[in-house]
Amino acid sequence: MGLVRKYWRPPVLGLAVALLSGEAFAQGTPLAERIQACNACHGEDGNSKMENIPSLAGQPEFFILNQLVLMRENVRQVEAMVPFVKDLKDDDIRALAAHFAKLEPKASAEPVDPALVKRGEEIASAKRCVSCHAANLGGQEQIPRVAKQRIDYLTKSLKEFGDGTRQGADTNMSVPVAGLSDADLAALAHYAASR
Amino acid sequence: MINLIPCRLGLLIAGSFALIAAGSSSAFAQAGFSPLDKSNPAASKQDTNLKPHATPPMAAPTDKLPVDKLKLPAGFKAEVWSSGHPGARTMVEGPKGTIFMGTRQLGRVYAITNKDGKREVKVLLQGLTQPNGLAVKDGALYVLAINKVFRFDNIEDNLDKPGTGVELTDKFNLPDTVHHNWKYADFGPDGKLYIQVGANCNICEINNGIHGQIRRYNPDGSGMEIVARGVRNTVGFDWHPVTKELWFTDNGRDWAGNGGPEDELNVVAKGKEGSFFGFPYCHANGVPDPDVKIPNPCAGVTLPAVTTGPHSAGLGIRFYTGNMFPKSYQNVAFIARRGSWNREQKFGYDVIVARTSGGKAKLEPFLSGFLDEKGNAFSGRPVYVHQMKDGSLLVSDEQNGAIYRITYQAKSAGKTASR
Repeated sequence: MGLVRKYWRPPVLGLAVALLSGEAFAQGTPLAERIQACNACHGEDGNSKMENIPSLAGQPEFFILNQLVLMRENVRQVEAMVPFVKDLKDDDIRALAAHFAKLEPKASAEPVDPALVKRGEEIASAKRCVSCHAANLGGQEQIPRVAKQRIDYLTKSLKEFGDGTRQGADTNMSVPVAGLSDADLAALAHYAASR
Repeated sequence: MINLIPCRLGLLIAGSFALIAAGSSSAFAQAGFSPLDKSNPAASKQDTNLKPHATPPMAAPTDKLPVDKLKLPAGFKAEVWSSGHPGARTMVEGPKGTIFMGTRQLGRVYAITNKDGKREVKVLLQGLTQPNGLAVKDGALYVLAINKVFRFDNIEDNLDKPGTGVELTDKFNLPDTVHHNWKYADFGPDGKLYIQVGANCNICEINNGIHGQIRRYNPDGSGMEIVARGVRNTVGFDWHPVTKELWFTDNGRDWAGNGGPEDELNVVAKGKEGSFFGFPYCHANGVPDPDVKIPNPCAGVTLPAVTTGPHSAGLGIRFYTGNMFPKSYQNVAFIARRGSWNREQKFGYDVIVARTSGGKAKLEPFLSGFLDEKGNAFSGRPVYVHQMKDGSLLVSDEQNGAIYRITYQAKSAGKTASR
C-alpha cells in the first residue's frame, strides 16, 4: 500500500466511508452532491475539523482548480482523493473551485502557541513567504492560502516538501524548507495558521 | 472542430507507472532544489512580489486564442493549427506525420494527428512527472520524464494502444532531482541521444559530475559522454544544418536584478566537446556571479555566441531548412522565448531569429504580439518551434494549450503583414 499516505486517517463520517468503499461518482453527479462529499472531510463550510485534512475555504480559485486537475491526472497522488477526482470533468472542477474559493476561511480549533507564532514570523520573514503566498498569506493564483489553514496539515505538508515525498508539487517549496528543523516547521505552521 | 479524445488506456498505463514509482521508496524523485542554493533576493532589490506565472491546466477555448494579435514580417501569416491540449510544450514528429507533444506539470504526452484536414488530439500517456523530453528515432518515440526513460516502438501504429513501452531508466541512470530536470532530448546527426541535466538550484555550487550538463548516449542508454558542462538550464538545442555544430539555449539565473544576467545562445564548437560554459561562476557575456564568488570566475569559460535578453527564457530552437520561407531564412535558427517572471517589466514572449556565423549570432524579431508592454501583461507563452515537411513552422503556446502554424506566401505580402 505504498500509495496510502501515512498521515492520512480514515474519515469517520458515513457518507465519505460509503464513497471510499469503492463507489466512485458517476459522471453527471450534481454539483451539490459532490460538494457534500467534499464537506464530509474538508468541513461543512470548507473549514476542516479533521486532523491532517486541509481547509479549502477561501483558497484561490486557480489553486483549487489546478490541484484537482493534477490529482485527476494522477500527477499529485493522494489515495484518499482518487474516488472523488477520477471522473471529474473540467467543468466540474471549475464549479468546485469557484464554490470553495468563495467561502470564508476560519481558523481551526487547534491550540495556537504564541511563542511558536513569534518564532514562525521571524522565519517567514527571512524566507520571504509573502513573495508568493501574498502579504496576508491568503495565496494567489497557483499558490495556496496558508493563513487560517490547519496547523497539523501545514506541518505535514512542509515536511513533505522537505523530504521530497510531496509528488506533483512545484519544486520551489523545497528551497525555503531546506535546513529547517521540525521545530522550525511547526513554528511556521503556527504562524501561518494564526494569520 | 478539434476533437480531444481521452485515451482510457493511456490512463491505465499511467496508473501503472505511478504504482511502479510508489512501490520502492527510493523511486520518489527528490524535491529538486539543492539545499546549497545561494539565492539572495533581498540583495537583488527586485520587487519582492515576483513569482513564477501560473500555467493553466486547462486549454483556452479556440475562439479565445490570441492569434489575431500576432505580428510577423511581411508575407508571413499565423493561424491556429491545433488547440485543446493544455500544457502544450515539446513537439516532435513521427515519420507518418504524428506530432507528439510533451508537457511539464500536467504529466501528459499527446499525439496529434491529421484527419480530414483537421487535427485530432489524443492523450497518449498520463501521470508522468514532467514528460518534457521527447525524441523520435526509427519509428520509436522516446519519452523522458525527469530520470525515467521509455521507448515506444512503432508508436504511430499504436496510438490507441501504446502499451507500457520499453523502460530504459536504469540504462540511462539520470539523476532523480526534479528541479531544472524536466528533460530536453534529441537525436544528433551522429545518431546519439543528447540529453540535458540542469542545475538543481537557482544558483549554487553544483556537482559538475552530475548536474549542469548536456550528455549524449547511444540510443540504448550506453556510452554516456559529457558534451557541455557548466550549463545552468538548457531546454532546447539543435544542430547547424551545415556545420553540424550543437547550438543550445540556456536560461540565466534569477534574483540578480531585472537586467539579467541575460540568457544565452551557445555553441559547442567542433572538437570542443566537454567545454565549460560558466555556471555558477560566470554568466552571460562574462558577468561574475554576485553570490557564488571565486577568483577569475570567467577564466576558461566558453562565452555565448550571443546573449538573448534578461529573463527572456529562450527555450526551443530549430534551424530552418524548409522550402516555404524566403531563401534568407535558410539555416537560420528560430528561438521561442517563453517570457520572463523574475523581472518587473515583462520581456520576451516571442519567437526570434538568430543568424549564426563563425560561432557568433545576430538576433532579429520574428513573431511577437503576445506581450502587451504598456499593460505589462502577456496573452501567450511560446515554448517550442517545429518545422513541418511543407516548410511551415509550428509554435507551441503553453499558456493557451495551442499550436500556431506560420506560413509564408510572397504574393500576399502586403495583406498579411500586420497579422
